[in-house]
Amino acid sequence: MARDKIYSEEFFPSPFMQLWLIFRQTPVAMLGFSCFVFLIVIAVFGPLLAPYSAVDGNLDKLLLPPAWHIDGDISHLLGTDELGRDMLSRLMYGTSLTFGLSFIVVISSLVIGVIIGSLSALTTGIKSSVLNHALDVILSIPSLLLAIIIVAILGTGISNTVWAVVIVLIPQFVHITRYAVKEESRKDYVLASRLDGASSFRVLSYSIFPNIIDRIMSQATLAQSAAILDIATLGFLGLGAQFPSPEWGASLANGLDLFYIAPWTVYLPGLAILFAVMATNLVGEGIRHALKKRKEQ
Amino acid sequence: MNLLDIRNLSIELISGDKSILAVDKVSLSMKEGEFRGLMGESGSGKSLLAQAIIAVLNDKWRVHADRFHWRGIDLLRLSIDERKVLLSRDIAMIFQEPMACLDPTTTIGGQLAEAIGNDQLSGFYWQKKQQRHDAAIKLLHKVGIKRHAECIKSYPHQLTEAICQRVMIAMALARRPVLLIADEPTAAMEGTNQNQIFRLLSSLNQLKGMAILLISHDLENITHWTNTITVMYSGQFVESGTTDQIFNKPLHPYTRALVDSSPAANFHLPAKTRLITLPGSIPILQHLPIGCRLGPRCPRAQQACVKAPSITNFHGHKVSCHFPLNNKLKHNSSDKQNCNINKKYLT
Amino acid sequence: MTELLEVKELSKSYPLKGHWLHKKNTTVLAPISFKIEAKKTLAIIGETGSGKSTLAKVLVGAMPASSGSIFLNGQILKSDSYKQRCQHIRMIFQYSGTTLNPSLTILQLLDEPLKLNTPFDEEKRKKIIRATLQKVGLLGDHMNFYPHMFSGGQKQRISLARAIILQPQVIILDEALASLDPSLRSQMINLLLDLQQKMGLAYILISHNLGIVRHFSDEIMVLSKGKVVEYGKTLDIMQNPQHKVTQKLLMNQTFQLKTKKQLKAKKR
Repeated sequence: MARDKIYSEEFFPSPFMQLWLIFRQTPVAMLGFSCFVFLIVIAVFGPLLAPYSAVDGNLDKLLLPPAWHIDGDISHLLGTDELGRDMLSRLMYGTSLTFGLSFIVVISSLVIGVIIGSLSALTTGIKSSVLNHALDVILSIPSLLLAIIIVAILGTGISNTVWAVVIVLIPQFVHITRYAVKEESRKDYVLASRLDGASSFRVLSYSIFPNIIDRIMSQATLAQSAAILDIATLGFLGLGAQFPSPEWGASLANGLDLFYIAPWTVYLPGLAILFAVMATNLVGEGIRHALKKRKEQ
Repeated sequence: MNLLDIRNLSIELISGDKSILAVDKVSLSMKEGEFRGLMGESGSGKSLLAQAIIAVLNDKWRVHADRFHWRGIDLLRLSIDERKVLLSRDIAMIFQEPMACLDPTTTIGGQLAEAIGNDQLSGFYWQKKQQRHDAAIKLLHKVGIKRHAECIKSYPHQLTEAICQRVMIAMALARRPVLLIADEPTAAMEGTNQNQIFRLLSSLNQLKGMAILLISHDLENITHWTNTITVMYSGQFVESGTTDQIFNKPLHPYTRALVDSSPAANFHLPAKTRLITLPGSIPILQHLPIGCRLGPRCPRAQQACVKAPSITNFHGHKVSCHFPLNNKLKHNSSDKQNCNINKKYLT
Repeated sequence: MTELLEVKELSKSYPLKGHWLHKKNTTVLAPISFKIEAKKTLAIIGETGSGKSTLAKVLVGAMPASSGSIFLNGQILKSDSYKQRCQHIRMIFQYSGTTLNPSLTILQLLDEPLKLNTPFDEEKRKKIIRATLQKVGLLGDHMNFYPHMFSGGQKQRISLARAIILQPQVIILDEALASLDPSLRSQMINLLLDLQQKMGLAYILISHNLGIVRHFSDEIMVLSKGKVVEYGKTLDIMQNPQHKVTQKLLMNQTFQLKTKKQLKAKKR
């Protein structure tokens, strides 16, 4: 009496696929996602695609306005700054610095935070409390201020900026992982898995993680927009990437003196930062919206 | 005059361009002081029906009916806001998990005081506060909570489920409703507590003449406490009548199967023998059968069952089936007949 | 009839928090002893807080017992080894919604106990999974579906498949039938009875619903505050309850049963 197909649907979506399908149907989220992907592509391939170098300038063409201006030149699409460096190339190299580094920062703090959070959730008693709350001191200080303090201790430079922002973002991930793991381990299927003889590690990776990964991802997008802003701000304050680095915050600070003569040297990096943060936030909102809709289904 | 008169109510779920009929032409009527049970398993649309009565469904559900009268007033002609005003005065509803329905951050006293309407109080502002307090204490006494001082000061998580459910009933009584809808009030409780809540509902029904609509999937509880029962299956109307008629002379095969699966009917069966069941399971919303939705599982299904049956009335005992069980046959032989038919359809 | 499971003086107590100097314990389970034979069902009833769930967890191995021992077929079961315990005693949980991992297919779900406890290769495991799904009344194709596509009754059947896939001798049903609809409950009971005869299983049923208990069990054990207050054959206890707690429990249910019988008697 066995029939081959009971359901007319051919396709059995896993919860992850369901999330993706709902995400795909939200136009705003897809817009944000495509911008995000675009930024990642530029961050990776920027140095290859950029028409000019970001550091050497063409001393003949100083302070050229963007191409849509009367005095502008098509060979420098977005104009040049006071040393003749092409703005477009600087922005592209800057993407791999600001955006690309923020991505790496988020992934590192995610990995470290999730490990500490899971250890804290699996143990009980004093060990667990220490792991959970030791980093709470970091949470109580505003992230930018703390990053400035760390950079003041370690010295300026972009690599120290990266370390500072990583340390600042870890406690959020510890908390969210600990809470999510504790909630999941109360459910019956984790007990069933344990009773089958699975080791703690196997229980964690097979039973718990696939179900909390979406919550961690939405927290990661929040953390990324904070990371972009922190790196850019530190660059702006002169504590992060140093001159002549094409990092967005640094080039924004650079152009500030020339604001009245050549406003494009200020607003172009500013727009780039806005674009990156908005894309990240749209993706994050899209994930949270899809999570809510999937729960309702 | 009927309190509530619903004829052929349908509720559609609109998702994208498809619309699924979650509740398909159900009729229900209640008189004053009646204690009616609404029986249905999960997926039968009974909660949807209750929510449609008190008009809390959101935009993705569409409700239409041939007749939807409350005390003679046609509810379909009123706007949503007018309907809400009318119904919130006369109908109250209690839900399944009482502790989840109470505000965890306010004391019981505060929540009860909130539920009491302004029209029952008189006087100046400071007098009203004291009156609210007294009215709250009176409500708690009405539902049988004697130690009101403790109760008023505590938060919901400090009380047991049974007491929380009584508080919910007290809040529902605050507006002196004419009809109380109880949506599976005792699903989360064990035997002794269930009996307490049902005894309370029964006393409210008999002493105050309040009509009660009890929604449940547990046939034993419903048949013990109610006067009339309506049975629903998968969004369709199955049978309705007095408790005695439904329990002892069920006309619809589904009602028969439900009665057979309750322990009371199985009292005479020797222990550890197979119970009589309908094969298959309840259809899901995406794959509803056409016509009579019991068709694929029904042991008496025939060609005519692809069309939805209409309601036939045997002296107040209404059933919606093309081939109702003949109630003239004696109890024992209809048992054997069903057994044989079941066996045929099980292989 | 040989004894399948024998429990001797099993007890469980927790240390009270906050008492570092004088270690105080709360006893959740006073020493309990009982025996079950193959193809028999033992029902455990009692009000909430009487220790039924704790007893179930100790038997299945989720919690270590504070004292006492469990013997299966004469051999003692070690309390810290899941691998040995899971071959013999399995459990089905109450809420069908949280009993299956939502991000694994049924195939992966049922593959896990097999992978961890048996030496079979993938082909053989798939065959065993298909056969087990058919035994509980589902189709072999169901193994590619995810849990959210099933109804509550079907999820409990998958849970039952997970329990029987290692060919255990004892299955503990921790209020497994409570959240099911009446018609599904009857189907599940029929299925459990069939499996009991075919596989020679012993069941330990924990339930509040005395109608099911009466129909399904051979012996009843009544717990109150961690102690056994009554233990004997179902029919004896149902007709002649000795202890106050048992009488109270039975009164609430048979009250309804008696009046329906009167209703029926009136009609005839």
